[in-house]
Amino acid sequence: MAGKILTVIETDAGRVRDCSYELVTLARELAQATGGTACAAVLGDDPVAAATQVAGHGVETVYAVKDPGLAAYTADGWAAALKRLMASEGVDIVLFSHTPLGWDAAPRLSAVHSLPALTEIVAVEDGGKVWTRLMFNGKFQVRMTLDGTPAVVTVQKGAFPPCEEQGQGAVKEVAIGLEPGAIRQKYVETTSAPASGKVDLASADIIVAGGRSIGSKEKFGIIKELADALGGQVGASRPVTDAGWLPHEHQVGSSGITVKPKLYIASGISGAIQHIVGMKQSGYIVAINRDKEAPIFEVADVCIIGDQFEIVPALTKAILEARGHG
Amino acid sequence: MKIVVCVKQVPDSDAALAINADKTWILESGINFGLNPYDRYALEEALKIKDAGEGEVVAVTLGPDRAAQVLKTCLATGADRAIHLKDDAFQGGDPWANALALAAAIRTVEPDLVLCGFQADDDTLAQTPVLLAGILDMPHATGAMKIERTDAGVRVERELEADRREVVDLPLPSVITVQTGINEPRYASIKGIMAAKRKEMKTPDPADLGIDPSQVGAAGSRLRFFDMAVPPKKEGGEVLTGTADEIALALVKRIRENTGVL
Repeated sequence: MAGKILTVIETDAGRVRDCSYELVTLARELAQATGGTACAAVLGDDPVAAATQVAGHGVETVYAVKDPGLAAYTADGWAAALKRLMASEGVDIVLFSHTPLGWDAAPRLSAVHSLPALTEIVAVEDGGKVWTRLMFNGKFQVRMTLDGTPAVVTVQKGAFPPCEEQGQGAVKEVAIGLEPGAIRQKYVETTSAPASGKVDLASADIIVAGGRSIGSKEKFGIIKELADALGGQVGASRPVTDAGWLPHEHQVGSSGITVKPKLYIASGISGAIQHIVGMKQSGYIVAINRDKEAPIFEVADVCIIGDQFEIVPALTKAILEARGHG
Repeated sequence: MKIVVCVKQVPDSDAALAINADKTWILESGINFGLNPYDRYALEEALKIKDAGEGEVVAVTLGPDRAAQVLKTCLATGADRAIHLKDDAFQGGDPWANALALAAAIRTVEPDLVLCGFQADDDTLAQTPVLLAGILDMPHATGAMKIERTDAGVRVERELEADRREVVDLPLPSVITVQTGINEPRYASIKGIMAAKRKEMKTPDPADLGIDPSQVGAAGSRLRFFDMAVPPKKEGGEVLTGTADEIALALVKRIRENTGVL
């Protein structure tokens, strides 16, 4: 195999997203292992500026795929444009981040080739022959192979480090010429939930987060008290905000906020993949859970196997005493 | 409006899971199974659309005999009929093989809308509904937090990261995957459970659907799992033991030494 490894770049307000630079790291690794070449694609109605940002990161070619129909993301638009690019350029592996764009577009592109996709991978071996991902909410990992090409892959955010700047690749403009009617979804707008202004998890130094096992909105008080004692903020796993115990702005995870505090205390959170993705880069992680098999312990610096309703209030008391004496 | 809801039977979220001898999947004996939590929201969304007007809701699953349980749940909760792909030839498939079988079953319904959970709680691959849309040549949208009827089709709010949403209009028929939290799913009533017993549950085999059995199930699969294992723990992760007060004191010390926030 010596074909191209194509990274699908995501931008946010014109800026290349960090997760896309993580993909470039993987693309370079795969190119080295296979003797192939690492490439990237930026899709849009005006993709050249973002393509130029990527070109200095060790990729041979960045395709600036340009079409008025690509002004906003749509699954049909991305699948149609990438299908053509893959055919014209000889692509063996396509890499997406496992994001709302990646999990929407990658299987659609894969379907064009009558193949399943390889979704949310965290590791690769043997130049892309063997891939690893987590299953059962992070309890188990599994290795997998795909019998067929091309491989359309989504990569878990944070699984690879972002690439360093290196060399200067070429930017190649590609006019795709999508037919009218090729895109059936019509993008309307992107909205943001109104924020209360009281919660800012992304910049918090200390976060105390609770999960579904707390049991009710009222019982969440023990989490809030510990957060208050520490001068930190309250986080939550998805089931807590789904149930309406806390507003969505408290949700940590792939569909919520990605956080990186100095201290993250996870109480009664089992550690579903979507939660771990959002907090595993925290400086120091304390996990409290009754289930010693809980996946949260795989990323914790301190593991406490026990009842959160005993441990958390005891910790609140100890913190208050330590602060009083300190 | 005819709506198909694709559902999957998965292990209960609190089931004690173990790995099978081949290390390809979990041991399926001795654990409880139920309706995939994401699918409960997809079903509710279908029932809400039906409640708001005329319509029929058809629940479809692929799985062994035991998976009939989740179709019964759907029928008892308000679905009108069900299709169960339980033939041995359908089993053990990868997402492509499963999507191919589901697509053939869904074509027999000729739906206006196909709703699925965002992902299955067991393999969390999050791709079968999108492959299905590709096979059916229907447009799709994933991760819906709101679905509204419009004159021309549906308006979907897709959940993005950091509390943002992407609003997109789709024509019908379309395939939409639904996120948890989009609604408050109803549960089956006694009356519903009784009524479900009289509802139709079809069990077509590959020949009934005009499918070559070698294209579906394990025979039609090209994605293979092996070496399933418990992931390695973070190096240096320390387990604290003792009474709650002892643990709390030890923890305060660790936080002081390692974080600089106390």
